[in-house]
Amino acid sequence: MDPTQYFENRVKHLEAQKADGKNPYPHKFEVQMSILEYIEKYGSLNNGDHLQDVTVSLAGRIMSKRSSSSMLVFYDMHGGGAKLQVMADASKSGMEEAEFSKFHSSVKRGDIVGVTGFPGLNSTILRFTIVASSQKIESWLVGRPRNPEAYILKDQETRYRQRYLDLMLNSEVQQIFKTRARIVSYIRKFLDNLDFLEVETPMMNVIAGGAAARPFVTHHNELNMRLFMRIAPELYLKELVVGGLDRVYEIGKTFRNEGIDLTHNPEFTTCEFYMAFADYDDLMSLTEEMLSGMVMELTGGYKIKYHANGLNNDPIEINFTPPFRRIDMVEELEKIAGLNISRDFSSDEANKYLVETCAKFDVKCPPPQTTARLLDKLVGHFLEETCVNPTFIINHPEIMSPLAKWHRLKPSLTERFELVVNKHELCDAYTELNDPVVQRQRFADQLKDRQSGDDEAMALDETFCTALEYGLPPTGGWGMGVDRLTMLLTDSQNIKEVLLFPAMKPQDEPPSAKGPTTAA
Amino acid sequence: MEAVNLRVWSLSSRPLKHLFRLASFSSSSARRPSSSPKLFFFRCSSSSSPSSAATASTPSASGRNRRSPSSTTTSDREAIRAIRSKKVEELRSKGLEPYAYKWERTHTANELQDIYKDLGNGEELTCESDRVSIAGRVVARRAFGKLAFLTLRDDSGSIQLYCEKERLSNEQFEHLKTLVDIGDILGANGTIKRTEKGELSVCVNSFAILTKSLLPLPDKYHGLTDVDKRYRQRYVDMIANPEVADVFRKRAKIVSEIRRTVEASGFVEVETPVLQGAAGGAEARPFITYHNSLGRDLYLRIATELHLKRMLVGGFEKVYEIGRIFRNEGISTRHNPEFTTIEMYEAYSDYESMMNMAEEIVTRCALAVNDKLTIEYQGTEICLERPWRRETMHNLVKEAIGVDFDDFSGNLKAAKEVTLTKLGSTLESKNKIAIESCPSIGHLVNEVFEVVVEPKLLQPTFVLDYPVEISPLAKPHRRRLGLTERFELFICGRELANAFSELTDPMDQRGRLEEQVRQHNEKRAAALSRGESNKGKASEDDDDDESYEVTLDDDFLTALEYGMPPASGMGLGIDRLVMLLTNSASIRDVIAFPILKAQQ
Repeated sequence: MDPTQYFENRVKHLEAQKADGKNPYPHKFEVQMSILEYIEKYGSLNNGDHLQDVTVSLAGRIMSKRSSSSMLVFYDMHGGGAKLQVMADASKSGMEEAEFSKFHSSVKRGDIVGVTGFPGLNSTILRFTIVASSQKIESWLVGRPRNPEAYILKDQETRYRQRYLDLMLNSEVQQIFKTRARIVSYIRKFLDNLDFLEVETPMMNVIAGGAAARPFVTHHNELNMRLFMRIAPELYLKELVVGGLDRVYEIGKTFRNEGIDLTHNPEFTTCEFYMAFADYDDLMSLTEEMLSGMVMELTGGYKIKYHANGLNNDPIEINFTPPFRRIDMVEELEKIAGLNISRDFSSDEANKYLVETCAKFDVKCPPPQTTARLLDKLVGHFLEETCVNPTFIINHPEIMSPLAKWHRLKPSLTERFELVVNKHELCDAYTELNDPVVQRQRFADQLKDRQSGDDEAMALDETFCTALEYGLPPTGGWGMGVDRLTMLLTDSQNIKEVLLFPAMKPQDEPPSAKGPTTAA
Repeated sequence: MEAVNLRVWSLSSRPLKHLFRLASFSSSSARRPSSSPKLFFFRCSSSSSPSSAATASTPSASGRNRRSPSSTTTSDREAIRAIRSKKVEELRSKGLEPYAYKWERTHTANELQDIYKDLGNGEELTCESDRVSIAGRVVARRAFGKLAFLTLRDDSGSIQLYCEKERLSNEQFEHLKTLVDIGDILGANGTIKRTEKGELSVCVNSFAILTKSLLPLPDKYHGLTDVDKRYRQRYVDMIANPEVADVFRKRAKIVSEIRRTVEASGFVEVETPVLQGAAGGAEARPFITYHNSLGRDLYLRIATELHLKRMLVGGFEKVYEIGRIFRNEGISTRHNPEFTTIEMYEAYSDYESMMNMAEEIVTRCALAVNDKLTIEYQGTEICLERPWRRETMHNLVKEAIGVDFDDFSGNLKAAKEVTLTKLGSTLESKNKIAIESCPSIGHLVNEVFEVVVEPKLLQPTFVLDYPVEISPLAKPHRRRLGLTERFELFICGRELANAFSELTDPMDQRGRLEEQVRQHNEKRAAALSRGESNKGKASEDDDDDESYEVTLDDDFLTALEYGMPPASGMGLGIDRLVMLLTNSASIRDVIAFPILKAQQ
């Protein structure tokens, strides 16, 4: 049927019902249990069993309807990640035949219904019998491959723009978001058990600090003040450690005014934690413990399957068995690419050498070609490519890490690591720089990069530097992208798969029920 | 205490001249352009500098005269910074790192207080198994020749360090005298002893400066009196007033308890967008930002409601989100432009169910942080014992002013006249104007409720059945025409939660939202024309409440057309709940870094 006509028919039907004094949008339906609970309770009934003295009330959305005659109608009812077959038999319904037929002809696919009946496999009494030959529709388990090409609703635009349709029609999708909730919940439990305190720091800042990225700008009317959306909670969290909260963490949104692609959304969720009296070695152990423990709890093993090379190729295996591999960034880069990089990273000589190296290996680095950016591109090209299983790339040069502490043994390097999984950075952590004099110097160096055209170099935050002058204890700090972790564990290659409502380009025409885009 | 301290440690022979040179050097270096001239609190006795110069000269002058012009105090602070920076160099020259990498501690202060609570006065445990290692900030110290007492504070509490010259190496005792200041972060190893005076102490065998502080802590006794500074530099506030950190500990506990409560009922946590194409779900001025690569304006969310309801359409039956909400409004003791709420939605239930949930959440949080259900808020005793009073808005208004608004059968003019007569001269003129401009009986009842009833609702009260005119997202009441199935929870005269049986009829919803937009645009046009005719005050009118744009979230209406199950939903302000349960007068006391006016 033409969608517009369908819409109009339904509206007419609703108006008729309202005119009849019936409310098609009732206030409440007493649901005794979820469909899943029902299945757990009555799923083991045998053919022919019926528990006529039991009355249950359930509710859900009708996803399919079949009539074997006008007197016998079968429905598939979905809800809460499960489905159930419901049978309505006129002879047992307590309704006149005409009334029964009229009622059931008005029930359409997509309607949300409440049903009352008794559990059974093939007989009926009330208006509906709830048939126990039902199954959970969780076809997908965490850590296993998914196949979005088999979805009922395939069109990506519609799936992301009208997520409710995606959730309604593609049963796996609910599981993705339930997995996401379990991941976040696991992180919280893990940190709470270590006596970390969950805190909230501002999302609107006078200075956008703690990372190198272009911020969103907004304006507070009454205060007539320009504000930036935070690009990282780092500086505030360290201020709290200065204030005496020895272990703090925050899980929350961070905002970057960047392009949208497979791994970037303008708002994303990170977890950052700060632990006084710990260093980056301790944090590597904690990272291994947290991630391997999480993968074990969610999947029952340490290995997950992931379609790293697209749905047309076989999924790869990613192994989270601890300990994770550790590679020293500069040493490993020199070894793999046969380089000899000056440890005086801020020298012109080092910069020249790296420019030439990038040219030699055809590694693109758009201007400004600062040494930090050149190194970053080379690491991406040579090292991250080798990191499929979780790998710590450690000891970044100071020029790449303005907030990390200088290495206690290796000059001009820092005590920093990045955890790379499936060639993408997942965590970034360091022994925090807490010498205020050195911190100011590093900010000054960043300013030089900024002046040479790198508008993502970090800005000085005076309040933060003052906080360091009051004394930040030795502290290990850690950040992780929650969306990226969720992508790995849900076999998602696009960040939009793990965001309920991802940012989308504006549409010329708003979505409309009059032109539904469902594939079914 | 500090006086003793200062005398005893006056060991340095650094000449006065030197200090002044440093001071003037630092202050003229203009490194701290933001240093406000009101920094008098930094001139504090806890500076404890070993330099006789610092103690004997400038500070005594400013010490007597705290509120005198502050150039002295600023340079004082700079002087201390200079002296301590010297110590940093000195430590490094001795091969000691003043910013250590890590410290292995065996216990926190509180754990030790707990483990050794039965240790008698004067008793000491020298057994190897009683050797401990702790770390924290030095917040006080006293010294007598060959003995020094330091108070070390960590996250959990504090403990005394008992430093005897004999137990430490010569060098270390010397360092303790010359290089350690109040404010430094120290790690210490030693054994356990309770002094004759009953103070549990760690007898220090060795210690290390883990972080050298460059700035003096604010005065312990006079505290941080500059309120603005307290919020601007929360870390100083927390060091000076340990109870401040307790508020944030309780806040974490409350949020955690809320999560536990709703998850125990099967609610799933989700995250919906902060940046939106249309800001819906409430009536408030949104923040606007611009996304470069999309080339479009985006609004910061003013509520999570419309996206969470989409989840119900998608088949989730119980969802919640704890997250930040943004409203471009003035700041006050009750308002911060960003604040935290929990919103929750449950399919197949109505607002009764949310009343139970609100009671459950608030009482469990109260027990989690206060262990009891009778609490005090700013001098008022509040009893949170369930069940809480449930009364309709109409009845509460009738009870307060003796007018039954059902009696007017829609005659707005008559209703206003009676109201104004009843309230008479007690009415403030701004309230009188508000009442006169009410466009409907529903608005009028609500206005009277807000003026007369709200401030008196001290004990927990569910106010039920709000007029439909002011409740665009709530379902019509199943029995009472013109009302909705909505409640707000009031405690201490403040709204804590807002909930409804959700409107699920897409036709009704579209009509109501369109009406809301229409009304808003009318007010906006009126505000704009006021601005036109009033050019002189144009800047004020920019801030008019109504001057922002409201757009319809069409996709939300589309979602309803696909069908949303009957449901109830609730929003609860977490900052306000934390204020209530921590007896905090201002929202700024429960937000670690509140937004403040720009500094001059």
